[in-house]
Amino acid sequence: MADKEIKTTSAGGSYEAEELPKAQSKVKEFVKKFLRRKTAVIALVFVVLMILVAIFGPYIAPYDPAAPDYTAMLQGPSAAHWWGTDEFGRDVFSRLLVGTRLSLSVALASVIIGTVIGTVLGLLAGYYGGIIESIVMRGSDILFSFPDILLAIAVVAIIGPGVVNIVIAVAVFTVPSVARLARSATLTVKESLYIEVARSLGCKDWRILWVHIFPGTLQSLIVNFTMRIGTAILAAASLSFLGFGANVTEPEWGAMLSQSRNYMTTAPHLVLFPGLLIFLTVLAFNLLGDGLRDTLDPKMK
Amino acid sequence: MKIKKILALVLAGAMTLSMAGLTASAEGATAPDNDLVIAIEGSVSSMDPQNISDTNAISATRGVYEELLHFDENQELEGVLAESWEVSEDSLTYTFHLREGVKFHDGTDFNSAAVVANFERVFDADNGLKSRRTYFKTVDGEETPRIASIETPDDYTVVFTLSEPYGVFLNKLTQMCFISPAAIEEYGNDVMYHPCGTGPYTYQEWVEGDHVTMVRNDDYWGEKPGVDSVTIKEVPEAGTRTAMLQTGEADLIYPTSSDQLSVVESTEDAQINTSVSNIMRYVTLNVNREALSDVRVRQAMNYAIDKDAYVALMYGGYGEAATSTVPSVIQYYEEQTPYTFDLEKAKSLMEEAGYADGFDITIWGDNTTQEIKGMTFIQQQLSQIGINVEVVPMEPATVSDKIYVPLEDAEIDMWYVNWSASDFSADSSMRALLYSEMCPPTSANTVYYNNPDFDAAMDAGLAAATEEEKAEYYQTAQELAWNDATWLFLGTDQIVYSTKTYLSGAYVAPDGTIRYQNAVLAQ
Amino acid sequence: MGRYCIKRILSAIPLLLAISFFIFMYIHLIPGDPARMQAGMDATAEEVEVIREQLGLNKPLLTQYVDYMKGLFTGDLGNSLKNGATVWDTIIPRFKPTIMLTICSIIWATIVGVALGIISAVCRGKAMDYIGMLIAISGISVPSFWLGLMLIQWFSVGLGWLPTSGLDSWKSYILPSLTLGAGTMAILARFTRSSMLESMREDYVRTARAKGLGEFFVIMRHAFKNSLIQVVTVTGLQIGGLLSGSVLVETVFSIPGLGRLLVDSINYRDYKVVQALLLFFAVEYIVVNLIVDLLYGVLNPKVRYD
Repeated sequence: MADKEIKTTSAGGSYEAEELPKAQSKVKEFVKKFLRRKTAVIALVFVVLMILVAIFGPYIAPYDPAAPDYTAMLQGPSAAHWWGTDEFGRDVFSRLLVGTRLSLSVALASVIIGTVIGTVLGLLAGYYGGIIESIVMRGSDILFSFPDILLAIAVVAIIGPGVVNIVIAVAVFTVPSVARLARSATLTVKESLYIEVARSLGCKDWRILWVHIFPGTLQSLIVNFTMRIGTAILAAASLSFLGFGANVTEPEWGAMLSQSRNYMTTAPHLVLFPGLLIFLTVLAFNLLGDGLRDTLDPKMK
Repeated sequence: MKIKKILALVLAGAMTLSMAGLTASAEGATAPDNDLVIAIEGSVSSMDPQNISDTNAISATRGVYEELLHFDENQELEGVLAESWEVSEDSLTYTFHLREGVKFHDGTDFNSAAVVANFERVFDADNGLKSRRTYFKTVDGEETPRIASIETPDDYTVVFTLSEPYGVFLNKLTQMCFISPAAIEEYGNDVMYHPCGTGPYTYQEWVEGDHVTMVRNDDYWGEKPGVDSVTIKEVPEAGTRTAMLQTGEADLIYPTSSDQLSVVESTEDAQINTSVSNIMRYVTLNVNREALSDVRVRQAMNYAIDKDAYVALMYGGYGEAATSTVPSVIQYYEEQTPYTFDLEKAKSLMEEAGYADGFDITIWGDNTTQEIKGMTFIQQQLSQIGINVEVVPMEPATVSDKIYVPLEDAEIDMWYVNWSASDFSADSSMRALLYSEMCPPTSANTVYYNNPDFDAAMDAGLAAATEEEKAEYYQTAQELAWNDATWLFLGTDQIVYSTKTYLSGAYVAPDGTIRYQNAVLAQ
Repeated sequence: MGRYCIKRILSAIPLLLAISFFIFMYIHLIPGDPARMQAGMDATAEEVEVIREQLGLNKPLLTQYVDYMKGLFTGDLGNSLKNGATVWDTIIPRFKPTIMLTICSIIWATIVGVALGIISAVCRGKAMDYIGMLIAISGISVPSFWLGLMLIQWFSVGLGWLPTSGLDSWKSYILPSLTLGAGTMAILARFTRSSMLESMREDYVRTARAKGLGEFFVIMRHAFKNSLIQVVTVTGLQIGGLLSGSVLVETVFSIPGLGRLLVDSINYRDYKVVQALLLFFAVEYIVVNLIVDLLYGVLNPKVRYD
């Protein structure tokens, strides 16, 4: 059906007509291939679960995550409080459920922004070289030579506190490393035979970049992307720890972990549960990334 | 799922192992060596006793250096390098009789000439020393010295003549240490790398940002130290300090935060010690804000805060709820009628003032874990009477940048802060924080408190001649500020430090300095 | 290649100038006043002004910048605002701990990370692969302050094998290096694995295998050699991160290194020390980058320097 419609709307569209059915079968093939990787499927299920928690967490939390109970401070896990209570007697389980939204959205948003900008810059730098490369690479050098913490302080100093500033701060230190990776992947791909062929056939630059080079860099970018989610969650933790969190009274995994680090020996549940959640989430994103990478790889069977 | 299982096992194992570490049995009550190690939180900024203002540097320099007089364990003035002193009736002339036979570590004699040489070093603006500020008064950009002259009738007598009465002169002198004049001559300001004083320990090593080591001075004029050496080590992380105490790498750790108390308690050969402190914890309320301008609202807020819960939550019970504008160790302290936690009363006061539905407000403070915890507590408490508090933690430098601004730029509502008057005087405890002329940008009166009666009482207190008069004026001042509910009066936490049971004679004084001069490690 | 080096070094000069300008503006424009920090909360505005004058902070910003640049060219970095010591005296003793720590961390992280990566790639889909990657992912999903405190609990308090802090013997380097290198190890393991998988499918590796060359030889000689370029890039990227990333580790283990000095100096707004440290990080970063880029050429002859 779909094929027909497109055929009729694009008069001389023999090119699209040829590609579309192939694309559709590609999706099918992709799903089939992906489903074969059990760890990746489990990881995907976990990630989806986390996203559901992020959406519905506030509605299913058994307690008000902000409500203190000074009669029940620092209690271990019990029937009333499954994952115990924190130093204010707040329910840790509820706080983690509600905190999922903030943690995930901050991590995802910052990594997506950072990766998109970094990739574009890296591709351009690697492909064109010359002045563009110099500007992009020196720019990321400057960013890189500033320790993360200073970038964070700078961002907060310039734009003030808030959720957005965490996203920007984390995105800012994602950009240079992505740009470098994209550039080095581009450099390798650029020298390949098929690029030279494409170029000699008179393909436009943007088309070579988008259709030929970008997919070639995709694998390392996907691996990097998934790893960065973990880094971003932890970076958000260190930022909250440094006092640059969005709103300290709102629950966030990393903030919970760093705020409670002094209770490691006296109330271990306070560091165990946020730590475990961070660990599992990062693990899931990594396994998912692996699955995607292998599935996307045309040479893999 | 296999992976998760393994993971759970690994983590469970990790937890058990770490718990097992806690209950590891302790040894007998004798020290493994005769070297005292003290772990502190902050850093020693300099080993030049005349160029420091932080407690840690004061602690570290007091092993090598000594003052004319100091506060003893009971907060009484006690002669050190001065055997006795007299103050003239007009409070302008101070005569000190120096201890004889005291030598600096390089063999130079300690005498009146050495005292003068040290004061000259401090007075010289070119040296840029921090203690200089103590001895000069700046009014409208004009600098006048507080000490008109220093005379030395003989080798062991020094006479200071002040240009005007300076009630806290003796208190200030407890911060003045004496460096060997020969060392000053030789090293100039580099003397910080070559400390040479008269103290019970001689300087061995200062690795900036890491530790200071001193060894016993066998020629010390007083009672010789019981330990071979003292090392003051900077250990910023609370958990690490506790671990050092557990392993015996440290013999005294200060501070011990409330979340570490149970770890120390469960360590067999370690104990928790406390001393009273001069730290006042409070929240300033900007009276220029519409809602906070009503004294009933400020009082309601005070009633809405459970001070005992505050002390329990923040300091593990080691502290007491505030009972006046100043902590009880401060001179002329007077107990006030407490704002006992009473939500009904708070609510009715709010209603009277027309704020039955509460209001929105922000609270500022430093961005450390502990300060954030305190502000969160205030937020929780005030939400009970409908006040919606936004907690805004900032870097300390940023906070002060936003506070010391002209009135028209002031954005401050509430400030979660603390103050300790290092000289324990009532004047230092209140003037900079509540006196009308001390509003920002001049100083730290972020209440913008302007009560002529209070100002008058403070001025009268400073000028008063007798103890009774001083007490009366300062007590009036405390009462006025207390009843006007200028702050949320929270509490005073005790100084909490932990030691190995085989350590004796070392303690932390109320001003937060560590006294290890007479330390003994049981052998 | 010599010409390339010179070109790169020359091109680093404007970069450093730009960086030094940014650093200066950064530290002077963020909120905070060293004079107020030094004077204390209760000091009056006049007293603060006196200190500001003493510290030379009342001069126009441009004059201060010119002074700072002049100082840079004559090697005079000024005096710490905190205690008046020269910046050189303040910084130099801090180098050794941080550099030793970085070297130790990078060595173990590279060896273990690359080994894990190769093993995982070779045993793709088998138990070893999962275990290897689990170890690797653990390295990046645990905050370093948490890991450090945990290690202290196990090895110092629990078992009594290693000291909790300080740098008195080689033993004291073990826990901090483990903590600091964990993230790098993880990242290296992951990259080695994925690039190994890629190169193992390349035609020339298959050819080598088809020729009947030993599996180990094929892996090391052909597949790994090709992956090296990625490994080197990532290692280079990590070294820069390690030096500045040592802040938390130095705090947890009470090590008097550059990271802690930097944070202390920022908190104190000790402009002179912060400027010098940031400039050092920048120089170090540029040097590491140059080395990485040169290694590119050695490892991948297809890349030309022009």
